Amino acid sequence: MAKSSRTTSKQDATFKGSVTETLELKPFQILAPDGKPVREDLIPDLELVETLYRKMAQMRYLDDKFFALAKQAKLGTYAQFGGQEASQVGSAFALDRSDYLAPMYRNTAAMITHGWPTKNAIMYWRGHPEGWRMPDNLNILPIIISIPGQYVHGAGAALGAKLKGTSQIAMTYIGEGGTSQGDFHIAVNFASATNAPCVFIIENNGWAISVPRAVQSKVDHLMRRAEGYGIPGYLVDGNDVLAVHHTAKQAVDDARAGKGPSLIEQMTYRIRPHTTGDETKAYRTEDEANDWIANRDPISRVKKFLELEKRWNDDREVAMIAEIESEFAEALAAADAAPAPDPRAILEYAMVNPGQNLIAQQAELERRIAAFGGAQ
Amino acid sequence: MTLNSGTQIVERPVTGETRPMTMAAAITDALDLALSHDPSVVMYGEDVGNLGGVYRITTGLQKKHGIARVFDCPLTESGIVGTAVGMAAVGMRPVVELQFGGFMMPAMDQIYSHVSRFRYRSRGRWKTPLVVRFPVGGGLGLLEQHADSPETYLAHTPGIKVAYPSNPYDAKGLLLSAIEDDDPVFFFETIKNYRDPKLRMEVPTGYYKIPLGKARVAREGSDVSLITWGGMVQQCETAAAAAAESGIQCEIIDLRTISPIDLETILESVEKTGRVVIVHEANLTGGMGAEISALIAQHALYSLEAPIERVAGFDTMPSPFNSLNHFSRPEAIHIADAIRRVLSA
Repeated sequence: MAKSSRTTSKQDATFKGSVTETLELKPFQILAPDGKPVREDLIPDLELVETLYRKMAQMRYLDDKFFALAKQAKLGTYAQFGGQEASQVGSAFALDRSDYLAPMYRNTAAMITHGWPTKNAIMYWRGHPEGWRMPDNLNILPIIISIPGQYVHGAGAALGAKLKGTSQIAMTYIGEGGTSQGDFHIAVNFASATNAPCVFIIENNGWAISVPRAVQSKVDHLMRRAEGYGIPGYLVDGNDVLAVHHTAKQAVDDARAGKGPSLIEQMTYRIRPHTTGDETKAYRTEDEANDWIANRDPISRVKKFLELEKRWNDDREVAMIAEIESEFAEALAAADAAPAPDPRAILEYAMVNPGQNLIAQQAELERRIAAFGGAQ
Repeated sequence: MTLNSGTQIVERPVTGETRPMTMAAAITDALDLALSHDPSVVMYGEDVGNLGGVYRITTGLQKKHGIARVFDCPLTESGIVGTAVGMAAVGMRPVVELQFGGFMMPAMDQIYSHVSRFRYRSRGRWKTPLVVRFPVGGGLGLLEQHADSPETYLAHTPGIKVAYPSNPYDAKGLLLSAIEDDDPVFFFETIKNYRDPKLRMEVPTGYYKIPLGKARVAREGSDVSLITWGGMVQQCETAAAAAAESGIQCEIIDLRTISPIDLETILESVEKTGRVVIVHEANLTGGMGAEISALIAQHALYSLEAPIERVAGFDTMPSPFNSLNHFSRPEAIHIADAIRRVLSA
């Protein structure tokens, strides 16, 4: 699909960091924010570009709809990814369907890109038990709220796949704030030491809720830490979906080829609040977000490129939006039509073999169900 | 068949050949059999590969089963347990070792936040069939955090099982059950018991399992129920033998599994004796003794003839003062005192 999935060693030198040389690093780009190629030689097949564009547009629509649904109390607290569509779609799209994804709470777009049905996503963020059930055919590990556990699980899944002798790899995500956690170091170091096929992605969106990037560390780029783990590190324009996909594909291919893990820092920006319960005015100016929206939006960049390539026009845009809207409406209707959860779901899956405590608590649950007369 | 200390083992299927084993040897034997039995079993931790662990429990296993099955890994408890979660999810059965129970805490985030919830939060999609083993308990004058017994933190954590054997036969059978179990199991190994010659006993050389969640009546008696587990079973046996000389018949319930707990066996004994002493090495407040007392109060209050007594560690860290350890860690003499108190109440 991509005409170029690997860079040469010369290209590596242009975006692989080296602390000892303290090179000034510039995020790797294939498309400039105005949609013009800066690396003509790395433009993939236009069909892939269009697919990535469509997916990102679908994700932006979904993110905004989720926000609106949450404000209408038709969804619970929801962590938006708006602005990070290229970062998530471009990277997750580099995976094979059988690869493992170890997501955190902001990765709804990466998860849907890896096959998670929109209906399930709606039900998950609604707190419906069937939304929490990960379908058997999807290799997506549970969404992790307490960052950075998922990084360690990703390393473990990757090592497990390697020990089993499959060709599967794992990809896991963290924000720039999460890199300050001990388990960030533990996971990347563990994967490095065991040569586990894991792709570690840092989505540097500038803000850990209200805490700006500079508070996390004095280092200029978090991916420089790769040097300390003896693995490749990449600094990428996270709002350039072609650069994100190209780099992720290289890291995925390396992992699959037995070359071990990589660390990729994707420079992006959360144009929305941290969650539906957050208010950005308390810690950052609207101008800052508006600048990103107006000048560095990941979706319009690809759209402009496709237009320059005569691959896209208003008619196609209108048709695509209609398609996105109807697909979402269908998923929402299906989620709305799902039966109210059985309260017995509370004790399901607590243990494979429950002990006396859970058996006793089943009786207590039945008493509570009787008291409430079933589901509320 | 009897323990060398003279205690009757009530539940003891005899299967095939046996040979004398210490706790350490029985645990090694179980690990060896598990590696042979199931290709998805892997073992790793600090020092477990080449050296065989600080207590040499995995000695020889890497040589026999290969470096892909038994290996050393970076020094990180959180990494060892956290990667085991991911590894178990993709179909392996990791049996990992932490160097000491007192070193479990760096992994506690992974245990509390992930080991206990991975299956629940995916509605059964991802199982966590992993075992975390570690040496526990004091009485040896080792360093700080080499004498802890952290079962309470785990018993309070949903979604996991806790096995805490007291003798070689149980250790082997419980460990094989733990490795086969689809729930995550924490396996406590009392350091003081590892190579205690008094605990050496005939253990079947073949593959056998003891069910998790089933207590053992280690000694039958009608006057007092001693409810205990792990290294404290031996102390209770000594106290019970002394009490028997004064005509007091103690019943010893060796829980074997702290979570899930075998309430039925506890209640049967309490209903018979009416007097209860709960003995554990972990400190007193909020310990498993409190949970067991609450269960007895709920289900067998009217069988009680005396207030429940608990013999436990003090609410301090386990004594780091070597010459004073015997005041801190419960021993037979302290248990004997508690037996007298419940009988005189």
